[in-house]
Amino acid sequence: MAQQVKVPAVGESITEVTIANWLKKDGDFVKQDEVIAELESDKATFELPAPQAGILKIIKKAGEVVPIGTAICEVQDSAGAPAAKSEPAKSEPAKSEAKAAAPTTAAAPKATGGVKEMKVPAVGESITEVTISTWLKKDGDFVNLDDIIAEVESDKATFELPAEATGILRIVAKEKTTLPIGGLICRIEIAEGAAAPAKTSAPAAKTETSTSANYASGHPSPAAAKILDEKGISSGAVSGSGVGGRITKEDAVNAEAKKESKPATQQSTASAQAAVPAIAGGRNIRREKMTSLRKTIAKRLVAVKNETAMLTTFNEVDMKPVMDLRSKYKDQFKEKYGVGLGFMSFFTKAVCAALKEFPAVNASIDGDEIVYHDYCDVSIAVSTPRGLVVPVIRNAELLTMNQVEAEVIRLATRGRDGKLSIDEMTGGTFSITNGGVFGSMMSTPIINPPQAAILGMHNIVERPVVVGGQVVVRPMMYLALSYDHRIIDGRESVSFLVRVKQMLEDPGRLILGV
Amino acid sequence: MDYNVTVIGSGPGGYVAAIRCAQLGFKTAIIEKYDTLGGTCLNVGCIPSKAMLDSTEHFHNALHNFKEHGIDINEPKANLPQMIKRKVGVVKANVDGIAFLMKKNKIDVHTGVGSFVDKNTIKITGKDGKEKTITTEKVIIATGSKPTPLPFAPFDKKRIISSTEALEITEMPKTMIIIGGGVIGMELGSVYARIGVKVTVVEFLDSLIATMDGTMGKELLKSAKKLGMEFYLGHKVTGLQNTGKEVVLKAEDKSGKTIELKGDYCMVSIGRRPYTDGLGLDKVGIELDRGRIPVDDHLKTKVDNIYAIGDVVSGAMLAHKAEEEGTLVAEQMAGQKPHINYLLIPGVVYTWPEVASVGYTEEQLKTDNRAYKVGSFPYKALGRARASMDVDGLVKVLADKNTDEILGVHIFGARAADMIAAAVTAMEFRASAEDVSRMSHAHPTYMEAVREACLAATANRPIHL
Repeated sequence: MAQQVKVPAVGESITEVTIANWLKKDGDFVKQDEVIAELESDKATFELPAPQAGILKIIKKAGEVVPIGTAICEVQDSAGAPAAKSEPAKSEPAKSEAKAAAPTTAAAPKATGGVKEMKVPAVGESITEVTISTWLKKDGDFVNLDDIIAEVESDKATFELPAEATGILRIVAKEKTTLPIGGLICRIEIAEGAAAPAKTSAPAAKTETSTSANYASGHPSPAAAKILDEKGISSGAVSGSGVGGRITKEDAVNAEAKKESKPATQQSTASAQAAVPAIAGGRNIRREKMTSLRKTIAKRLVAVKNETAMLTTFNEVDMKPVMDLRSKYKDQFKEKYGVGLGFMSFFTKAVCAALKEFPAVNASIDGDEIVYHDYCDVSIAVSTPRGLVVPVIRNAELLTMNQVEAEVIRLATRGRDGKLSIDEMTGGTFSITNGGVFGSMMSTPIINPPQAAILGMHNIVERPVVVGGQVVVRPMMYLALSYDHRIIDGRESVSFLVRVKQMLEDPGRLILGV
Repeated sequence: MDYNVTVIGSGPGGYVAAIRCAQLGFKTAIIEKYDTLGGTCLNVGCIPSKAMLDSTEHFHNALHNFKEHGIDINEPKANLPQMIKRKVGVVKANVDGIAFLMKKNKIDVHTGVGSFVDKNTIKITGKDGKEKTITTEKVIIATGSKPTPLPFAPFDKKRIISSTEALEITEMPKTMIIIGGGVIGMELGSVYARIGVKVTVVEFLDSLIATMDGTMGKELLKSAKKLGMEFYLGHKVTGLQNTGKEVVLKAEDKSGKTIELKGDYCMVSIGRRPYTDGLGLDKVGIELDRGRIPVDDHLKTKVDNIYAIGDVVSGAMLAHKAEEEGTLVAEQMAGQKPHINYLLIPGVVYTWPEVASVGYTEEQLKTDNRAYKVGSFPYKALGRARASMDVDGLVKVLADKNTDEILGVHIFGARAADMIAAAVTAMEFRASAEDVSRMSHAHPTYMEAVREACLAATANRPIHL
């Protein structure tokens, strides 16, 4: 049977993709889950796996721009024909096996023969892979449609995975394995109540299981499991060439070769490393697979550097007024609101006021248009054990000081516990980052796209400054504003930063709006 | 630091860990309290007991089976001192072999009690009381286990003995009482039963080798009774005394009915306890959990550079389990990521017929509500077994009802211990019962029984039944 391959929905705001490259030629035999093409959206490049084994028939050529949902190729299921071609000896025992096993299949009335393959759904823009954090159902369990069967973690959030069919769960990707979007998570052997299958369907079912999925598909041999783990490749990402789709040692050894551009050197370093762990002189190196979060961070940071006209302007702020105010009222504040009075509320409020005056700083570019926001959704950078996350304080301009502080604490706590949802981390219009908590004196923060600017706070250091002709000691902080020069002019960025400085040095202005 | 890795204890877990560490390029030391390497397994456990089991089985055959085979001999006599002497030789050859392997792999052997000074320093106290200290980056604790005594009757090593002393007896006893019908009790019980000692086993539970599949315990009970062993199952020992000339044991069944048994010796084999005495775990802040050293999935203790393997950590107290763990820890230290599938660590009882098991027992599958199929095949129907007269036995294969995947293999019969490896291989690759039945098995062999049991499990179609 031919199966059409359509452009999958790859992200919420993506409506079309470009076929960057066909990795397989028209008429090629492709294996299930083998990558057949590379598609490019405006956000990312992604790989298109074959939905089933068979002969590829290309419909749309490389370079064509196609909307989501367009059929770009067909895979003609050849029912094991190429297998027979390459290994003619196999076909006969296979046939006899089907015959011999028929009574077994008939004896198990549950299965309808249908198998639903559950793949990693596209969970949000910029998410390219997820990790299976917990299986809530066991392999072999009977699951109902929409039962939550697993918890899945992306670099941004944890979400639940509902069963896409009713039947017997066959787990493919074990806990802690990382899968790309579209990667095979599990199979559900579809059962229709207790209805016994029609007699004719029994051999058909057997044929299908013998050519494609069965309970042992993707099961790595002991040696293969070790190799895959060391390479940080999940068994779900490897197609097994062994009996019934089992992953052989050779499959595991080659798994890397496919991924890496220079397999030979990679492999030799890996084996050299294993053979001689140079621990004596402390010249150890360690190779660890990048986490999803790290990879996303890496990709986005480079993208910002490449795709924006980013530069940074600096200023300094005398923190004495804020600190005085804070030490004077912090106890009362705490008593009244139950949250401590920190610097974040001052900075957030000052930023919101300044953003109102300089709307370009609060804008973003979308294609040929500039999007201005009449609200201030301020992203705050929070360092968590898993890396940096940037939750958003919504409508910060409407919040009171204590509300800002409470929100900061809530978001930071959720961040540290890894509980932030994607919603809580997307849609910010401006960012604040505080390198000062780590002791940074001065830095150039990097824009959090698609935002146009980011404010960097730094440490507070007592420095000699001149006030009214006198050299006095003041707690000073350098401020940095990195901005996208494409939409923010120098005058606006510098004036914005000066406004923030002014309001912090004279918090009364915050009240008066001057 | 003197060493990259120091292993405390040279049993199968410890010495394998040390060799693997050395192979991976670590400068490695091993500390052993006793004069010979090899730990319980080589000195007073697996190896010497197998030596005695083999000797006594030969005797048993000569006495009972040679005639039927057409070998007429004068009535053989059991020469227990010679059996023990041969056993000593076997042990020596093995422990010398370990000493050689240490030398070959350039592993420093320190004899004495190893005890932590701090997490990187270990004090070694020799028998002569001399102390030395070594420093090490990482430590693997592999100190093993000791027989558990009865709380009210400690080992006096004269008549109330453990397996260790039971392997040293040179004067033929007339009667022996064994408390505990587990692996050790049944193995050493059959050693003595075969050479004519009246052996009585008192077991608290209602079945023998209770952790294994129920069928195995039942079959073992039948065959042990044929050997002349007597059993008091479901009996709780309430008193045990060495009166000087004999031991007197009191026990009661569930209804409270008491029995009194007398014997020359009483071997207490009610289990083994993890052995951590003198290790100085308090110096590094490791606290025991019900006697065992708590470890994480990587066998690491709460102290970053200290690992523990084998009988001192949780899991089955088996030499081959300890070996796997030793290898795992060593390879992890080298940055590798090995796995242990604990479900597929086989269990063996070296009686004759032997018992060997891997995977789930039928009892476990029932508890888990798994849908399963059973296929079994008796040795009686096996040409090979008839030829050798080893017709007591059966193979039981448990398979998933829907997928036919093999979930457990339980063998009672001749050569079961060696046959179980094939079942482990099949299960590591998640073979179905039909897979195994479609692989060619040489004829005539005992393994054909496994194939037939798989045929029985897959669709109830054994050929020779």
